[in-house]
Amino acid sequence: MILLLSVVVGALTGWGLARWQGRIWQPPSFQYPALLVIGFLPQWLAFYFEPTRRLFSDEVASACLVLSQTLLLGFAGLNISLSGLPFLALGLALNLLVIVANGGFMPLVAESAARLLPQDILNLIGYGERISHASKDILMMESAIRFPWLADRFVSPDYFSYRFIFSLGDVWIAIGAFLLLAVGRKHTPQGALGKEHDQQNHS
Amino acid sequence: MKNTFNKFLFSASKINKVHLQIVWSLIALAMLVLGAGAPEDVGGVGIR
Repeated sequence: MILLLSVVVGALTGWGLARWQGRIWQPPSFQYPALLVIGFLPQWLAFYFEPTRRLFSDEVASACLVLSQTLLLGFAGLNISLSGLPFLALGLALNLLVIVANGGFMPLVAESAARLLPQDILNLIGYGERISHASKDILMMESAIRFPWLADRFVSPDYFSYRFIFSLGDVWIAIGAFLLLAVGRKHTPQGALGKEHDQQNHS
Repeated sequence: MKNTFNKFLFSASKINKVHLQIVWSLIALAMLVLGAGAPEDVGGVGIR
């Protein structure tokens, strides 16, 4: 959920910049939106929707994750010309690579998790097990992870009251989402805001 | 009651295609970001 912050900050930045430049803010217009919905659906059922996620076994949930991210990568590829999408696609590809290489879930480096969680809770989870039904992560020792630098290993700064552990791919995804909204749609007509005000005044 | 309804109609009449496009874009990007990312949220609520 922390990644949604980049969407909010990007939208506010894009809207503020547009107002400052005297134009209407226009967010990106995606091609093939049905692919996005179809691609997100398996993850929503397996990880986000409370009534269904408990019904999914770990094997089915990991298959849903890989299938979903593959479809989303295809969607990103089809919209690669949008500002910020190349960064987001790179982050998604990095996450998908480390997930596939480690059995279908995002590896969570135990050493990083130990910085935020008490040891007794980590002992309860156990190495190689999912953190929870709502999580895409499995707890792993760093030495057992393939591509460990792509795993969830970076811990949020101490001054953040909301703590989270993230991957290199997540950073690129946040940058891409921010740019998508901050830059907005290309070829926005200059002075459109003024024209709209004129039309409102005339009507 | 009638006043509230009139206010609602007035607000609804200001919603145009651009507003709907903005809402859809934000929802679409939220889906893309949630689906693409895999951070582990720990703080605040702890592990669920």
